[in-house]
Amino acid sequence: MRLPEGKWLDVEGLRTRYFEAGRGEPIVFIYGGNFGTGDSASSAYTWSENLLPLSERFRAIVFDKAGQGETDNPKNDDYTMAAVVRHAAAFLRAMKLEGVHLVGHSRGGYAATRVALDNHDLVKSLTVVNSGTLSPGIGTNEVVLAKPPFAAGTRECVRWVYQNYSFNPDIVTDEWVSAVMATLAIPKYQESVRKMAKLGTQLFLPELAREKRETLQWINEGRLQRPVQVIWGFDDRTAVIDRGIELYNMFARHERRALFHVINQSGHFPFREHPKRFNALMRRWVESLA
Amino acid sequence: MMVFIHGGVPGITPYASGPHIWGKVPNAIEVRGQTVDAMTQSVRQAIEGKGPCHLVGHDIGGLLAFTLAIEAPQLVRAVTAVASVAAAPSGDGVPNVTLAHPPKPLWSKESQRWALERVSYSHSHIDEALLQACVAAAAKQTPMTPEAYENEFVPSLMKAKSRFYEICRTEGIKVPCQVIWGSHDPLTTFDQGLWLFRGVAQKQRVSQFHVINRAGALPFREEPAAFHQVLNAFADGI
Repeated sequence: MRLPEGKWLDVEGLRTRYFEAGRGEPIVFIYGGNFGTGDSASSAYTWSENLLPLSERFRAIVFDKAGQGETDNPKNDDYTMAAVVRHAAAFLRAMKLEGVHLVGHSRGGYAATRVALDNHDLVKSLTVVNSGTLSPGIGTNEVVLAKPPFAAGTRECVRWVYQNYSFNPDIVTDEWVSAVMATLAIPKYQESVRKMAKLGTQLFLPELAREKRETLQWINEGRLQRPVQVIWGFDDRTAVIDRGIELYNMFARHERRALFHVINQSGHFPFREHPKRFNALMRRWVESLA
Repeated sequence: MMVFIHGGVPGITPYASGPHIWGKVPNAIEVRGQTVDAMTQSVRQAIEGKGPCHLVGHDIGGLLAFTLAIEAPQLVRAVTAVASVAAAPSGDGVPNVTLAHPPKPLWSKESQRWALERVSYSHSHIDEALLQACVAAAAKQTPMTPEAYENEFVPSLMKAKSRFYEICRTEGIKVPCQVIWGSHDPLTTFDQGLWLFRGVAQKQRVSQFHVINRAGALPFREEPAAFHQVLNAFADGI
């Protein structure tokens, strides 16, 4: 499945690419990953199986995060998650959206949650999908994805990484690999790879760790104050099911409308491995809150 | 077509379950029999000729749905097991005392109110209409004697469960399955629900697990909107 034609918007000085279709309650998807990774690269394409099906009933939007996909890199080398979160919120405001159903996956699950915590006026509900970044505890990406047996930046390497994220390796199609390769080939993306070689450990990760502590504290204090659902691929080895349970329990302590959904035979990307059932869960969720 | 199968064992469960427990749903059927086999046959008779049905079973009703999916998969489109403690593994758990010592007279309105409150997260769903329906159901049902329960029902339950987990491990349940659990079910734990799902998930690709927050053993009564949202999303997606 393809995305509609991309559009462009200036978001606080960053040329930002986004895709949208449909009318009605706005759903905004935030994909995972971060700028500057050389063996994989997320972009709006990540949600290619979800945007158009959900646009049949809703206004579905996916944008490229700061420094990822085709969107400009952060200004002043601010390669931080805080910059990604600020850009995401600024995108929602620039689009004049309100009452948004935010859907965040993996690192995007963290970003979506932080956007909601910082901007309650913009957000109607939150959906978090397989987010080891947000869940307390440790991620196991280092264990599962250590040293791919192919050279970084090759199709083989990209395929290997996403296959190891997935339950069924066959879901990693040539089209998906090509979308990743297209991002890796963009000069500004290659610049982020060069910069993150140093800034990854010096800036990005320590800043994320600090902000994560604060984010988890805020969740535990009940600051989210919006309906929330946690959707988890059961067989994800990088963000295992126990981490989803822990995260759900944190939300559920403070929010009556908190649901937990587990999808079998799915790795890190349940919305790509089982799009029809994922989209059905999203559709019924948004309708229940409309 | 969705068919709703209630739980409870007449004469043993201190509130009288029945089709009324679901509130306003179409196709809630009456389960009869003294053993799991007999109860399963009563479900089979009720749905035969109606085309493959999505069986939605509460507690023992969930096990009946799984059993029928094993016995006659052609009659079953999907199974949803709700707070199905009867189907969940129990291991060497300690006795659950939630419903020990119900006030007498048993099956009176007050005694049943006590039981329904005990299994719920909140008492707010327990209204006069529910209590009247439970009293009427208790008057109509044939109670199982403690001897029949011990000598016939419990062995049939253990046998059905054993068969269910054997099939889960070997050929797998042949139809899509989901498990729905209440986050605050006093009769069970989160883990038991997840292990029931793990059982099914071994061989059935199309399987899901869901938790509804702030709900006890009757999540479809306590959080009906969330329950139907989850139920319908599964029906849409399979």
